[in-house]
Amino acid sequence: MKLNRRSFIKSAAAGSAIAAAGSIFPGISFANWKEQTGSAGQITWKKAPCRFCGTGCGVLVGVSGDRAVAVKGDPNCSVNKGLCCVKGFHVVQALYGKDRLRTAKVRRGGKMVEVPVSEALDIIAAKMKQTIKETGKDSVAMYGSGQWTIPDGYVASKLFKGCIGTNNVEANARLCMASAVTGFLTSFGTDEPMGCYEDIEHADVFVTWGNNMAEMHPVLFSRMLASRKRRGNVEIIDLATRSTRSSQASDKSILFKPNTDLAVANAICYEIIRNDWVNWDFVKKHTTFHKGKTNIGYGTEDHFKFKDAPEDISFEEYKEFLSDYTPKKVEKISGVSARDIKYLASLYGDPSKKCTSFWCMGMNQHVRGTWINNLVYNIHLLTGKISTPGNSPFSLTGQPSACGTVREVGTLTHKLPHGVVMKEAHRKMAAEIWDVPLTNIDPKPTYHTVEMFRALDRGDIRFIWIQVTNPMITMPNLTRYRNGALKDDRFIVVSDVYPTPTTDVADVVLPAAMWVEQEGMYGNSERRTQHFDRIVPGPGETMSDTWQIIEVARRLGYEKQFPWGEDEYIGKIWEEYRRFHDSPKHNMAPYDVLKKRSGVQWPFVDGKETRWRFNSKYDPACKPGSEFDFYGKKDGKAWIWARPYEPAAESPDDEYDFWLNTGRVIEHWHTGTMTRRVPVLHRAVPESYVEIHPEDAMNLGVTNGEMVKIISRRGEVTMKASIDGRGKPPRGMVFVPFFDESYKINEVTLDAFCPISKQPDYKKCAVRLEKA
Amino acid sequence: MPILSYLVLPQDGAMDQLCSDLSSMEYCEIIPADNQEVVVLVTDTPDDKVEETLQETLKNLPSLQSFSMTYGHNAV
Amino acid sequence: MNKRAKITTGVVIGFAAVCFSWTVVSMSAQAAPGVQEGFDWSGEKIYNRYNDTPLQAMTGTDGRRTLNTFYERRQYPGSPPIVPHKVAEAFSGDTAKCISCHGRGGYDAEQDAYAPVTPHPENENCFQCHVPITTENLFVESDWESVSPSRLGRSMMGGSPPPVPHSLQLREDCIACHTGPGAVAEIRVEHGSRGNCRQCHVPQVTTTTFERNN
Repeated sequence: MKLNRRSFIKSAAAGSAIAAAGSIFPGISFANWKEQTGSAGQITWKKAPCRFCGTGCGVLVGVSGDRAVAVKGDPNCSVNKGLCCVKGFHVVQALYGKDRLRTAKVRRGGKMVEVPVSEALDIIAAKMKQTIKETGKDSVAMYGSGQWTIPDGYVASKLFKGCIGTNNVEANARLCMASAVTGFLTSFGTDEPMGCYEDIEHADVFVTWGNNMAEMHPVLFSRMLASRKRRGNVEIIDLATRSTRSSQASDKSILFKPNTDLAVANAICYEIIRNDWVNWDFVKKHTTFHKGKTNIGYGTEDHFKFKDAPEDISFEEYKEFLSDYTPKKVEKISGVSARDIKYLASLYGDPSKKCTSFWCMGMNQHVRGTWINNLVYNIHLLTGKISTPGNSPFSLTGQPSACGTVREVGTLTHKLPHGVVMKEAHRKMAAEIWDVPLTNIDPKPTYHTVEMFRALDRGDIRFIWIQVTNPMITMPNLTRYRNGALKDDRFIVVSDVYPTPTTDVADVVLPAAMWVEQEGMYGNSERRTQHFDRIVPGPGETMSDTWQIIEVARRLGYEKQFPWGEDEYIGKIWEEYRRFHDSPKHNMAPYDVLKKRSGVQWPFVDGKETRWRFNSKYDPACKPGSEFDFYGKKDGKAWIWARPYEPAAESPDDEYDFWLNTGRVIEHWHTGTMTRRVPVLHRAVPESYVEIHPEDAMNLGVTNGEMVKIISRRGEVTMKASIDGRGKPPRGMVFVPFFDESYKINEVTLDAFCPISKQPDYKKCAVRLEKA
Repeated sequence: MPILSYLVLPQDGAMDQLCSDLSSMEYCEIIPADNQEVVVLVTDTPDDKVEETLQETLKNLPSLQSFSMTYGHNAV
Repeated sequence: MNKRAKITTGVVIGFAAVCFSWTVVSMSAQAAPGVQEGFDWSGEKIYNRYNDTPLQAMTGTDGRRTLNTFYERRQYPGSPPIVPHKVAEAFSGDTAKCISCHGRGGYDAEQDAYAPVTPHPENENCFQCHVPITTENLFVESDWESVSPSRLGRSMMGGSPPPVPHSLQLREDCIACHTGPGAVAEIRVEHGSRGNCRQCHVPQVTTTTFERNN
């Protein structure tokens, strides 16, 4: 702890003298003293959302002088009520790694040379102009992040879609939440959860579907544990492909074979119908039945295209469809006993039990991610357990602002802040608010993330600007995309805070302000927008990502669209952005309300937050007189989808006989660029490893800590084995945390994706193991 | 490692002289008042002996009229 | 011993002390640094204990059991403590009797103390490791020295959750030792009701800092 004790005492000494003077010499003033206040010795606390996961805990950043020195949980934030996790409690230390990027760099003659930031911005703008002139507007691209603040994403979208006129805007949330989005859109016609975290205190049954919530949304998991302890009749069931801390904490841990969650969900629906646990009143009034295409492919080829063809079906047809998914049949495919399936169904089907399902990457990073999202919604729709306190199919978000920025601002190739590029009415609204000609906005989407990096490899994209993300670690089938970025005639601009494998391939590196070194807002899983001030200054020439984009936009000639001054731009951007969402279905709180409160949920209507959507008791956007109004769909009814089980893109076979699963650990965030520079976190988990079942390890001849080679058709990685560690895969599966850039596990994974959402499946591909 | 603070009053008309004398002395930091002829002095000396010598020097400053201690702490 | 020998001995002992203190540091890092020891799998204990323990049992203010007494009963940090109270002569292995006090703790009038709770009740053969003291005499004098136990207060910043300074082997159940009236006073916490300890308190597997190997 480096708080300067001497200066603290000295300011106490001065304070005493001044106090004494005040009583001896009335009216005396020491203007100089004001400069001393706030210098070392006194801590002021300012609110912010945590930098890390999609839970969106509120923290109080302790500031002394111009440094962040401590953290407290924000007791006023309803999300975490003053508690954090180990990452949150040390989040301020992530600002102070020794190799923080402080200056801009440009690649000249093969070496990175330091240049003033203004020169780097000139180079970027010039290169963009040149590239657009030579190879067209669709040869420049922007790749952002679910860790972008809302203003970051907004100005990126405005510049690229509104001014330059290209839909080459994507964000890494495509890799984490796209299936959740398409799940919402296909089932409900509108994005984002209908419940809120308050569901946790009301639910009697929790089912975690393929997500290790104890490590990944720990503060929410603690709320579940506290509720279970307090109420005594709460059950937590962990449904997963491997045993984790969440399995340890649950009342029942059920393992299923990878990708068979589709079959299990359908089997639960089969049981619900067979036992007549269907809430007929709800189903008849508020749902319709549909099916789509099957055998929809895996997207591993360039230019892969898929368009679904939804059809209406009857309930009888749906029931007939489910006859393939009896518990006995599903037991054979999935490894889940018929008994357990029936048990799960009985919990969902019991009208007296409030059920909350939580899921995240297990269901989203899935070649049928959209489908499995639909199927879990089916369970809640058949039983009518939705949009009421405690009854909640809750799609958790991974990143702090995948909701707030990527989904709500719409930084994806087909989206606009309101609606999609394909619809003229939506383009008209954007053109008006952005003050650009309607013809600027291209009605055709271009590339989703995987295809965007394929385009970069092919040369269809020549310029890409990457902000707040590390694709040179996170792209699946990584070798192809890294080689693509390294080709001649590809200009890569990277804004980041630390050197990463992505800055290693950059032609220009911009030093970015990090988290509370800039003003901004994040939006978390439960539709809560949280504002934070600029609390501490950034080092060197660091500049907020928002301002970087504004500077380049002005150099490209768009001063009119980006007119704001540096002291007011965030507030002005927010008020402009809000206009897109002006409706009771989506209204965002005004700037001054956001500044005051520790997070405000949207829709924010008449000064009140809508906690449960589509339920007319809580949601003013519902049609008056209707009990439930799923107003994302034209007829106000939610869709129940018949989606079949289809296997993974690459299952184990004779040659590659193991499943490879990847994910995180609680201590590390994503690619570890921030958390590894926090001493406590690095010292807890300094290196990545591969989890192997003890019997598999024995067959391999490997003990804990020995090196294992993991080989797939695409690449290989050699790393240490972890046996009986905190996670235990079943036989025939291995698990690797992806935070360690020394072990690029994505060189081994496969870039297959859900054809509807285009989100890659990081949880399943085939590998073989060798003792190294 | 004593840290002390004092209220210091200058001789008549010697406010500026006092401020420049004190601010040029080792171990001393001053906060002059802006509307009266009073100066807050914070001293930070390495040990008691140096502290005593400093007090002697202060007593003998021609620009200084009087000084009274308002805070004392022996910070180790 | 002449003066020179004394100095040399002093240097040697000093050096050995330095070596020992390095050993403390590396004792927490396993032979395969960076990989969690194989004893991180019993995390279930903490969730079970949390569910089973009523809130009142997780609070306590009795200060008689101190870190000093704790280490007095051990030969080195992490060794099984001796049984400090009398055990009946005929006591030959009804370890259910041990569990009757040390399974859940509580106040024992005979000992006039709160029984410490065992973090590993599933090991039922108690006296395999925990033996009573029947005499203060030594057979032969011993040269034994050990390392200093980890110090307290290792939070990174004021108020942040300190990392776990000890190995998790046989000590995965935080609530048993860190809460309640039987806990060592200096390490007792009042927030045991949170239940998911390792959400905030992580082990320390190494003492290095991160450096890119570029």
